[in-house]
Amino acid sequence: MNPGPASALAPAVDTRPPSAIWRALGWLLWLWIALAIVGAFLWAPLAQAFIGQSSRILFFHVPMAWASFVAFLAAGVWSVLYLVRRDADHDRAAAAAVELGLLFAILATVTGSMWAKVMWHAWWNGDPRQTSIVVALVFYAAYLVLRGAVEDPELRGRLCAAYAVLGLVVAPYLYFVAPRMASFTLHPQPVVNTAAKVDVEIRMLTVLLASSLGFTALFFWVHRLRLRLLRIDARKNTRT
Amino acid sequence: MIQGGIGWVAAVNVVIWTGLFLYLLRLEAKVRDLEKEP
Amino acid sequence: MSVPARSAARRWLGEVVAVFVKDWRAELRTRHALHTLLLFSLTTLLTVSTALGPLGVSPSERVGVLPALLWIILLFAAAAGLPRSFVHEEETHTAIALRLAATPSAVFCGKTLFCASLLAGVELILVPLYVAMMQLSIASAGGLVVALAMGGLGLAIASTLLAAIAAQAQGRAALFPILAFPLLLPLLLLAIELTRGAVEGVMPDAVLVNLVLYDATMAVAGLMLFPLVWNP
Repeated sequence: MNPGPASALAPAVDTRPPSAIWRALGWLLWLWIALAIVGAFLWAPLAQAFIGQSSRILFFHVPMAWASFVAFLAAGVWSVLYLVRRDADHDRAAAAAVELGLLFAILATVTGSMWAKVMWHAWWNGDPRQTSIVVALVFYAAYLVLRGAVEDPELRGRLCAAYAVLGLVVAPYLYFVAPRMASFTLHPQPVVNTAAKVDVEIRMLTVLLASSLGFTALFFWVHRLRLRLLRIDARKNTRT
Repeated sequence: MIQGGIGWVAAVNVVIWTGLFLYLLRLEAKVRDLEKEP
Repeated sequence: MSVPARSAARRWLGEVVAVFVKDWRAELRTRHALHTLLLFSLTTLLTVSTALGPLGVSPSERVGVLPALLWIILLFAAAAGLPRSFVHEEETHTAIALRLAATPSAVFCGKTLFCASLLAGVELILVPLYVAMMQLSIASAGGLVVALAMGGLGLAIASTLLAAIAAQAQGRAALFPILAFPLLLPLLLLAIELTRGAVEGVMPDAVLVNLVLYDATMAVAGLMLFPLVWNP
């Protein structure tokens, strides 16, 4: 990420570290996810329709996909804030969110592919949900390409923010609308369905929700770290 | 198929996760250090 | 409407028309975009037709395959020919004059209409040739027109917004496909499905509704985001 030329007029970058509570929260996060892992393998029951132990991947695959969605949503929100307030920090936050969202989306795709190999005997099936997340992946990868293609920080922030705001429409569509519109899908029915009925075992649901929460929190924790690094970079460039 | 059963798989996962987390904590300490520098 | 509001609206419409006419006048001078779009789509059509051989696609598979190929040709032609509307402005430095001469929304609408009319022209020439060369029998011609119109409109709207973004970055026209393809994929899938419906004679209403919604959403997003992309 190229922060651009130094400017005496650029506002000072705030690089004050968060309070020590942040590290403590990190340890809580470790415990939470460790418990979720143990729960996923030792406490939750197996799902009926799946081969052997393979349904356990549900507790990692779905939360990672969800975390990537949250990341892209957050990027959109920060982008809106940037367009309104023109604070460079919001632009950095949006970029960091897209990077992490991309990482989680890639992990979700890979775990999904592994599951597909076990369940449907092919690494790729052309299933609507598979296609949707890859399209989202490419969409946000393009965001990073755009970021690299603009030198001027103000122009870069503006163009990328506009693109990420477009993503606020595209991402929900790809994650939640498009897969449901397809006439046929290999994926199991979504847990939260239109009947608003939860027809999955309570232990499974607990671990699934706990894991989702954990991965989402992990996203915010790592995002903060990435943002702090970007701020340090920016400070370095406004100092010279 | 799974050597040592599902408990072993869970243990390996926790170890991997803990390793990742410790790496993140170390990174956090380094960032904190960089932030202080005037 | 009050008198000042009416005159403001008339002025705005005048700006839209002015942008549209200016772009067409410039285009007719060099015919650059038209040549690009037509040559590209016709060459691709010829390649596809030749590669599939004299028998083409087997009759049972035509409904599935041919609409998809048509829209792929249109997509690539659009990616090759449409970004020029903004890249040209940036390269010849007329963009600044345009920013001063018209309000952003007028520029957006004018350019979109220009892109839409370009696409309509290409479709008018390409589609009959495609239908003839690929031996595609269409049950509902009206349905096909609707699919081409709604799909083409969505393609034009999205392309205009993204071309404006790409034109201001390094690597301009080359960046456009990278930005455009993920956004256009849902549009393409809907347009293909609608075209399949026209071929079979069964119009899928849900798909049409979704396509119209996509176009509307892109139009709203474009009107809201274009001013931010266009002006500092």
